[in-house]
Amino acid sequence: MTRETDHEPGAAGYVAVWLALVVLATATLFLSRAVTGGWGLAVALVIASVKATLVAAFFMHLAHGRPIHRIVFAVAIGFLVVLVIGVLADVGTRSIASSYVDELGQPAPR
Amino acid sequence: MTAAVETAAGPLPVQYDSLERQHATARLGMWVFLGSESLLFAGLLALYAAYRFVYPAEFHAASAHANLVIGTANTYILLTSSLTVALAIHATRRGHRRRTVALLVATIALGLAFDVLKVIEYAGHLREGLAPGDYYAFADLPARGVVLYVTLYYLLTGLHALHVTGGVGALIWLAVRAQRGAFTPHSHVALELGGLYWHLVDLVWIFLWPLLYLIR
Repeated sequence: MTRETDHEPGAAGYVAVWLALVVLATATLFLSRAVTGGWGLAVALVIASVKATLVAAFFMHLAHGRPIHRIVFAVAIGFLVVLVIGVLADVGTRSIASSYVDELGQPAPR
Repeated sequence: MTAAVETAAGPLPVQYDSLERQHATARLGMWVFLGSESLLFAGLLALYAAYRFVYPAEFHAASAHANLVIGTANTYILLTSSLTVALAIHATRRGHRRRTVALLVATIALGLAFDVLKVIEYAGHLREGLAPGDYYAFADLPARGVVLYVTLYYLLTGLHALHVTGGVGALIWLAVRAQRGAFTPHSHVALELGGLYWHLVDLVWIFLWPLLYLIR
């Protein structure tokens, strides 16, 4: 029987993943200064997703572990995304300004 | 009914016919737990998305007062601690007990460094009046919208810091067990699960850092 842990990256593999994470974090820092406007958030989230994928795939062994682990975690993250998209769809499509009241009880600026 | 399988650590629960199967079940349970942990943060992230959508300029102005130096230092600290815990498990699989303990101690030190920096960071904010909810008393920015960023900042980073602290506690327990020789190259599932939990703490921070510190 093949053990679940047979295909893990070696020590050099872990260090390579860490180096990639450090480079990506540094890139995030500089890009957050260089890219302004609406694209800044998109760029930051794309890089964060790449970093998270590296951590999950190699440090957490999702890439070479049992498929059920990928399914369970992907479903949870998928539900997280559904929740955020649903909430954004709500606040993004409100047409009556007065329907939105801020924390001070005032209509929010639209 | 068949008799329970005997292992070096005593008899297995009757539902398992091998140690490997018991460990496989533990790993699956851990992934379900990590999935539910992600959904614990999902509620706060959804609130963040909504309020940032309504108050983009206020969130931008407020995040300029976050401590970018400490936030960035903590990013590199957590990334490095993920490496050390992964290498600790790797060392166990190679049968290197002393190296395992040393790498776990390094991970614990990095986790504690994160917490110490977090306390310094919070203290600085509170001195300035950057406090959550009704306690907001920051003179440079009006509360409207900004107080929502500040409150979510404390809720998200506070919940995350609780996870860091809990993770440090688990790692201390694992380091003591590793020192006592509880883990062998083929049986160390508790160490694996502790490592998974620590990586999840890293995953959450990977998103909190750009969302709270790097708004542009």
